[in-house]
Amino acid sequence: MSSMRLVSGSDRVRPLSSLAAGTHATVHRVQPHGGDRVDRLVALGVTAGAPITVLQTFPGIVFLCDQTELAVERAVADTILVKPAEE
Amino acid sequence: MLRLRARPLRLALVGNPNVGKSVVFGALTGRYATVSNYPGTTVSVTRGRALVGAEVCDLVDTPGVNALSGAISEDERITSQVLERGEADLIIQVADARNIRRALMLTAELATFRKPVIVALNMVDEALARGIVVNAEALSTELGVPVVEMVAIEGRGLQTLRDLLPDATALQVPHLRDAAARAAWAHEVSGRVRTVSALSIARAQEALSRATRSPITGIPILALVLYVMYLFVGVFGAQTLVGFLEQDVFGQHVNQAATWLVDRTLPFAFVHDLLVGQYGLITMGLTYAIAIVLPVVTTFFLLFGFLEDSGYIPRLAVFSDRIFRAMGLNGKAVLPMVLGLGCDTMATMTTRILATPKERLIAILLLALGIPCSAQLATILGILGGVSFGALLTLFGVVLLQMFVVGWLAGRLLRGERSDFIMELPPIRLPKLRNLLTKTRMRVWWYLGEAVPLFLVGTLLLFGLDRLHALDAIAAAGRPIVTGLLGLPPETAQILMMGFLRRDYGAAGLFHLAQSGALTGVQAVVALTVMTLFIPCVANFLMIIKERGAKVAFTLLGVITPIAVFTGAGLHYVFDAFGIRF
Repeated sequence: MSSMRLVSGSDRVRPLSSLAAGTHATVHRVQPHGGDRVDRLVALGVTAGAPITVLQTFPGIVFLCDQTELAVERAVADTILVKPAEE
Repeated sequence: MLRLRARPLRLALVGNPNVGKSVVFGALTGRYATVSNYPGTTVSVTRGRALVGAEVCDLVDTPGVNALSGAISEDERITSQVLERGEADLIIQVADARNIRRALMLTAELATFRKPVIVALNMVDEALARGIVVNAEALSTELGVPVVEMVAIEGRGLQTLRDLLPDATALQVPHLRDAAARAAWAHEVSGRVRTVSALSIARAQEALSRATRSPITGIPILALVLYVMYLFVGVFGAQTLVGFLEQDVFGQHVNQAATWLVDRTLPFAFVHDLLVGQYGLITMGLTYAIAIVLPVVTTFFLLFGFLEDSGYIPRLAVFSDRIFRAMGLNGKAVLPMVLGLGCDTMATMTTRILATPKERLIAILLLALGIPCSAQLATILGILGGVSFGALLTLFGVVLLQMFVVGWLAGRLLRGERSDFIMELPPIRLPKLRNLLTKTRMRVWWYLGEAVPLFLVGTLLLFGLDRLHALDAIAAAGRPIVTGLLGLPPETAQILMMGFLRRDYGAAGLFHLAQSGALTGVQAVVALTVMTLFIPCVANFLMIIKERGAKVAFTLLGVITPIAVFTGAGLHYVFDAFGIRF
């Protein structure tokens, strides 16, 4: 819903886990997290500026990042911050 | 490049997972390295010789890598070591044309090794089908190295790759230490060399891809896949083909001809018994291997290869993630588990794709405990399919429950971390018949080389023990457990023992016993449950020692054996107490 409203700058940044299936967005950044989560996401191409499309939200979150189809658990999707595309 | 060398030039195939390195390897060397459609097919290096121009080169196929440093899994470390130890004079980076951005992130890392590089831009046909065009010439200019467009599976671009190998030079790209900087550089370069149009002519594939990973359609599809497997392997393989081979071919012809021939040429009782007696090398060893197990593994490998190449298996991770998380693993563990149905020994090696030592240990434990290998699975289907569907469900229910309980406990008791579930899903593809047939042929060949000698050794052992009257002693020693606790006929003791040599050998023995009517339905369920949960075969045990050390291997043995026996005893008790019959 909120992605439909016109809001400015950083307000539009939200976690990947909050997006509905079918939403297009770009990766803003991956929040630092203990362990190797950031490294592994970066290695798979989840880096600032990468275009993503949410494909599925249950039971896991599946999204297309550039041309790579990735499946992640919700906790991981919570830390991927994205900017939804303007409709 | 054509000059005298002290040793052959060493080439390494490096690239992201699932980009077709093994296909290129096969095309250049003429040797087959297993090709499938999921990241993590290759978990160790494969070496071969390739003729480039007039020069013989050593070529090494490496496990796919997303990064060479930072958080990398055990299979990725193998590749990183090949490069760090300077085992490659020249790097062929195989890149997926659809995913050029990720390939470039790796290119940036390869630059730090200062070796000559050539880029094989593979799967340009699939990229085109998705509206993605990569300008190879522009890319070559950006990187300062040759870039060859390829469709390796069809052999397109191979000759150009061979021709351009001498032109490989060091990459002309910035050496970036930081992963984020490499990502930013890759993003920028890919933007300049790639055009993506909205055009997509791969709609059917996309629909299939969606259907297999969403639960509403995915679970019925899984049920259908299992049912097809039951029909093809359990009914067609284990009943129709085995029936034909065992009763008609071996029963009516081979064994009779062999008996006739042996008795004519070597008329000694000892030779007769050794070759064609009750524990005869031909009448038992070969009959088990060729007539009972071979048809079953062949049908299984065919179907399994189809599933591997279609890209279906990793999609199961999406809905099994939560179950695996309860066991201290994550959805990625579905890969070694499903591969275990092919061969637990190979699957034990595949646990390298899991991120933490704890996950690898739990996965190895569950493989050894509960995953039946192809031959065993098919004998289960063959025996219990003939008993009743309820019997089949009871066995799988008990085994799965047992795996879950053990996994749950291991997840809690073992120290260490579970890693995040982050997994790449390969595209859904229609498998190529040629790869499917080659792969099945290689596996069946491997089975024959691996299993037949052990079947013969096992038979010889039984023959020897029988001669020494030790089989009766073993049956007597096993009686308190086998007959008392489990309620099985005393002959089952020797079958369980043979199951350790090779699980499928034991399973074939059980199959034989069931056919002769010596097992009731209830006994079949108990015996197969114990055999399934029982200690892994020798090969698997040796692989566990190799991967995790002897201490871990013997500890697992000490944990698994009582679980198997007590589960069987519990089942026997419950069936008995409630008067359950199948």
